[in-house]
Amino acid sequence: MAEYANLVRRALGQLGGHGGVRGLLVQFFRVNDVKVGNLIGVDKYGNKYYEDKKHFFFARHRWVIYTTEMNGKNTMWEVDGSMVPAEWHRWLHCMTDDPPTTHPPEPKKFLADIHQINVSGSRQQYVPCTTTRKKIHEWVPPKAEAQ
Amino acid sequence: MASNTAARAAVGAAKVVRPIFSRDLDEAKRRVRELYRAWYREVPNTVTTFQLDITTRQGRDKVREMFDKNKHVTDPRVIDMLVIKGKMELQETIHVWKQKTHIMRYFHETEEARPADFLSKFYRGHDP
Amino acid sequence: MLRLPVVSRSLFPAALTKGGAAATNNVRTAATATAAAPNLLEVFVDGNPVMVEPGTTVLQACEKVGMQIPRFCYHERLSVAGNCRMCLVEIEKVPKPVAACAMPVMKGWNILTNSDKTRKAREGVMEFLLANHPLDCPICDQGGECDLQDQSMQFGSDRSRFTESKRAVEDKNIGPLIKTIMTRCIQCTRCVRFASEIAGVEELGTTGRGNDLQIGTYVEKMFMSELSGNVIDICPVGALTSKPYAFTARPWETRKTETIDVLDAVGSNIVVSTRGGEVMRVLPRLNEDINEEWISDKTRFAYDGLKRQRLTQTMVKNESGQLVATTWEDALTRVAGALQGVEGNDVAAVVGGLVDAEALISLKDLLNRFNSDTLCTEEAFPMAGAGSDLRSNYLLNTGIAGIEEADLLLLVGTNPRYEAPLFNARIRKGWLHNELQVALVGKEVDLSYTHDHLGESATVLQEIASGTHPFSQVLAKAKRPVVVVGSSCLQREDGAAIMAAVSTIAQNARVSSGVEETWKVLNVLHRVASQVAALDLGYKPGVEAIRKNPPKLLFLLGADAGCITRQDLPKDSFIIYQGHHGDVGAPMADIILPGAAYTEKCSTYVNTEGRAQQTKVAVTAPGMAREDWRIIRAISELAGVTLPYDTLDEVRDRLAEVSPNLVRYDDVEEANYFKQANELSKVSCYLTPAYPISRASQTMAKCVKAVTEGAQAVDEPAIC
Repeated sequence: MAEYANLVRRALGQLGGHGGVRGLLVQFFRVNDVKVGNLIGVDKYGNKYYEDKKHFFFARHRWVIYTTEMNGKNTMWEVDGSMVPAEWHRWLHCMTDDPPTTHPPEPKKFLADIHQINVSGSRQQYVPCTTTRKKIHEWVPPKAEAQ
Repeated sequence: MASNTAARAAVGAAKVVRPIFSRDLDEAKRRVRELYRAWYREVPNTVTTFQLDITTRQGRDKVREMFDKNKHVTDPRVIDMLVIKGKMELQETIHVWKQKTHIMRYFHETEEARPADFLSKFYRGHDP
Repeated sequence: MLRLPVVSRSLFPAALTKGGAAATNNVRTAATATAAAPNLLEVFVDGNPVMVEPGTTVLQACEKVGMQIPRFCYHERLSVAGNCRMCLVEIEKVPKPVAACAMPVMKGWNILTNSDKTRKAREGVMEFLLANHPLDCPICDQGGECDLQDQSMQFGSDRSRFTESKRAVEDKNIGPLIKTIMTRCIQCTRCVRFASEIAGVEELGTTGRGNDLQIGTYVEKMFMSELSGNVIDICPVGALTSKPYAFTARPWETRKTETIDVLDAVGSNIVVSTRGGEVMRVLPRLNEDINEEWISDKTRFAYDGLKRQRLTQTMVKNESGQLVATTWEDALTRVAGALQGVEGNDVAAVVGGLVDAEALISLKDLLNRFNSDTLCTEEAFPMAGAGSDLRSNYLLNTGIAGIEEADLLLLVGTNPRYEAPLFNARIRKGWLHNELQVALVGKEVDLSYTHDHLGESATVLQEIASGTHPFSQVLAKAKRPVVVVGSSCLQREDGAAIMAAVSTIAQNARVSSGVEETWKVLNVLHRVASQVAALDLGYKPGVEAIRKNPPKLLFLLGADAGCITRQDLPKDSFIIYQGHHGDVGAPMADIILPGAAYTEKCSTYVNTEGRAQQTKVAVTAPGMAREDWRIIRAISELAGVTLPYDTLDEVRDRLAEVSPNLVRYDDVEEANYFKQANELSKVSCYLTPAYPISRASQTMAKCVKAVTEGAQAVDEPAIC
């Protein structure tokens, strides 16, 4: 009996933890999951980092709820793994147990001030310029003198 | 039946050839009808198995068109050969040895007609 | 200091005219060939009997039964040096092996080409040759087409006994075309003999003796010859290689296309090596009647011009006068629209020097549909008298090979060394082997052989024609006289007078020599490849007609000589340029239609002798460029006067209708109407005449710089 009561309590906790039925549905459609846990910290872009070691096994026990707007880009429905900044990445991927909230990272020159989302597949992506020799050099017409 | 024998005799007198399956045109036609029936029944299955973006009706029309394409053939041996090829295609379709793209190839959706007149050949490229 | 060629030249002509070379059809002296027929010698090659003429060398006798003797120094078009010893063969009952290239056969000899002794001799020679040859085949440009490589595989030893150090020789800078790696040289002296015998420049020679023998130019100087590239081909090893081709391709990865050259009017037969749609190099192809096995440097090295300054897109002038790229549909519609607005004399065409016969006929047909017959070539030709109506009036009638049979040659206003280097090589051959006497009227130039300079003015010609000049007596005594007039001097104002005088001289010489009717005296040496075909098809030579009657619409078909400029035309005139290079013609055009260059189309050209030849497609035309006749055919369809041919064969049928000789490929169509016709009537060779291809070529630009400023001016840091 007690376990059933526990289950109901967790269900109600998920309902409440996301702010009612509407919040639960939004969460469900954005993340395909409705789990709730302890909020460990929020980075400066608004991504929220959660942990629940009790109910989930290792590797499912830390997760991120992405922000809805990052670097001027609407990320309500277009979320990407690369939205996690470097300092949270190591905690999120269990490289360490110390979140940057309690152990702020050592400032390094190479750490970006503003974390950039991966631009692959977009117009901003890096395309290496061609280094092959041109087989045919075409004629470039002379510039017409101003009339 | 007698006429069949007579016809067979006439054919034999004209030129002795080894039949593939059918000994006369009627028999060959029967094989064609059997094949057509089999295809006709298979089309709805094909549409669902391959998740084709066509209706059963379109598929059956295509089958009919493919059969009609060879309706001028009267040589039983040629018909038999065509039936054999049709059966092979059918078998490949039923067993899903083909893929979606192979089925859709019957519809020639992505093929562009080659230019025939001088000017369109010229616009198209170097000496097509 | 030893100059081999000087020695050998004094020895060699005697040996050659004895009939040795007549067997290989080198010298066209029919008399010696027929006279020698009865007394043939019988010799045996590995036991097989063969009848040969006396004086035949062992090597030639073996060649006659199809047995190739390995050789390095021997070359059938050069004198015999006999210094490589690779051709040693054993002869039965002769104590020592003999050098096959230099030894005349004797009656009853049995030549053993594959005996133990022969093989041992070859192996020994090969071992000595390789003793001082670097083993750098992997980085050698000759790798894959190297005689030494091939023959050491076939005849060499399978192991080395060599433990000493190798000789090394300093490389020489002999100009921007030929790269020397003298350590690889095996001292065959083919290049030395080529330079002194064929090219006629005594600039290469040998210094030192034995192990210290070196090939070089004695002092640091350029190997200045218009045929210099051929030493790359005759060098059996990688000592002389092509500088522009260095480290670019290997012979086995290239695709070879047999085609012809159109950069001069000779029409040399060439092989174009291509790789991945790019011309890598140009090599000569054997054609005894035209270029033998040589080609000029321009033919060989101007191919990089095919990759620069190319027109690859249709262009149209916009409102601000800037040429901008557009589509074929747009450009052709504009051209057709412009054509439909004009009629008769308002439309004219000028064709350049590189245009093929197919384009010429379709352009003529197109303009004729618009009732215009103002079709001009850039190259002028006097139209007084018979003009271009009689074909014999504008051809090199004697033929390039025919010069060898002549005994007196009068050159008028031409420098064949620059205008047609291979024709000059033929003259030199006749001068060397057949005692051809050469006289020159015109600017005094170095022709690489001795000649009498008669004067520079046209009055000399009048004197010769009237018989008052001392040279007239010489001319009257000649048995087989030839008069060659260069088309460059016919460009002048008094071209017609020159042509008339030359024609009279030729007719007088014919009468006085009493030569048979088939011998032709009068010859015209053209400078550009398209001229003969254009005249055959009825184009008007020279742009006078356009100057007198400026058209509203001018069609320039590869016209890049700048004969007609914007100033010659009314202000609102419309210019269409069709061609393959952005040179002089393209910038002044309103519409540019990109055509194909000679390596990119299958087309017909007629050389200065009147020999129709075909080019073949070696690479695809770049970008949007199309074959020229197709462009004109497409215009005709849009302009509503569709020309009746869709395929190349149909165009050639039309060519055959107009002038059947244009499709009889590789044949010289003879023309012989001299009597009737008579009754009716310097910078550098690399840029003459200035063609868009050679002007776009960086190699040619380097050559000009090297000629004018010295070889050091274009010296590049040595890579190898």
